[in-house]
Amino acid sequence: MTPRIVEVRRNLLRKNDLAAAALRDRFRTAGVFVVSLVSSPGAGKTSFLERALTLMRPTRRVAALVGDLATECDADRLRRSGAPVQQISTGTVCHLDADMVERAIDGWPLAELDYLFIENVGNLVCPASYDLGEHLRVVLLSVTEGEDKPLKYPTIFNTADIAVVTKIDLANAVGFDHPELLGNIARVRPGMPVIEVSARTGTGFRSWMRFLEHRAAEPLERHVV
Amino acid sequence: MHELSIALSLVDAVCDELPRLGANVSVRSVRVRIGPASGVSPDALTFAFDVAAAESPIAGARLEVEAGHDRALELTALEVVDDATDC
Repeated sequence: MTPRIVEVRRNLLRKNDLAAAALRDRFRTAGVFVVSLVSSPGAGKTSFLERALTLMRPTRRVAALVGDLATECDADRLRRSGAPVQQISTGTVCHLDADMVERAIDGWPLAELDYLFIENVGNLVCPASYDLGEHLRVVLLSVTEGEDKPLKYPTIFNTADIAVVTKIDLANAVGFDHPELLGNIARVRPGMPVIEVSARTGTGFRSWMRFLEHRAAEPLERHVV
Repeated sequence: MHELSIALSLVDAVCDELPRLGANVSVRSVRVRIGPASGVSPDALTFAFDVAAAESPIAGARLEVEAGHDRALELTALEVVDDATDC
C-alpha cells in the first residue's frame, strides 16, 4: 500500500498551555497574584525570595513554591520567613510545568493568599517554553554572570516581564558595567523594566515592592507566553 | 534531558491520533515544525524521539523536522501506511 499523509497541526506545548491557562483562571478567581522567578543556578532567586517573603509577611498573605531537581534546601530557607512553602522535586526534569504547579497547590486555600511566588529550577533555557499560569515572570541575573547574558538567552528575556539584577553589592568588586547590561536588555527586550537589588543589604527592595504592588493592582491578566 | 520530555509529549500526541487513522495503520514518519526560538534542537529531538518511540505503538517511525518560525513547536503531519491484510 502506498503511504498517505495525514495532517495533524498540533502544538506540542498545547497540553501545558491549556493547563496553564486553567491555572491562571483559577488564580484570578481566587484573587491571588502569582509571580514566577527564573534565572541561571546561583543567581540568587532563593535569597531574593527569602528577603521578599520576610518583608511582605507582616502585611500580606504570601506563600511560595520552589522547584529543584533534588533536596528541600530552598524550601527550608524560604520557610524561615514564616510563609508556607512547598518544594517541588522534579527528579530529572529541568523546568517546572503547569501540571507540577497544579499538583503542588492541591488543597491550598488560594483565596486566602494575596501573593504566590513560584521559584523555577535554575535554568535560563527550558523554563521559557513552559507557562505556569503566573501573572508576572521575573528573570534574575547577578552582576557576576556577565553583561552579555541577555544577548545569549533572548528567549527567556522575551518571556519575562521584568529583569532583576542581583548581588548589586558586589558590582564594584567585579567591575560590573551597568550601561552595558541595560543596553543589552534593551536590545533584546525594549522597554523591559530593570531593578537592581542586593538581598544581603536590602538595596532595591523598596523599588521591587512598589513595582509588584502596582502590577498586582492591575486587572489579573498576563501577556501570553 | 529537555528534548526527551518534548519527545515523550510528541509520541503521546501521535498515539492520540491513532484511533482516527483507522485500524491496521502503521506510522512511517512523524513530521514536526520547529522554530529557532522554540528552545528545541532538531538533532537532539531526533535522537530523543527514537528513544521515546521505542517502547510505544509507533516504534520504528522516523522523525522529519521542518524549519519553522519563532517559537513553533508543532506536530504537522503523519505519513502512514495502511497494512493490507486482505484483498
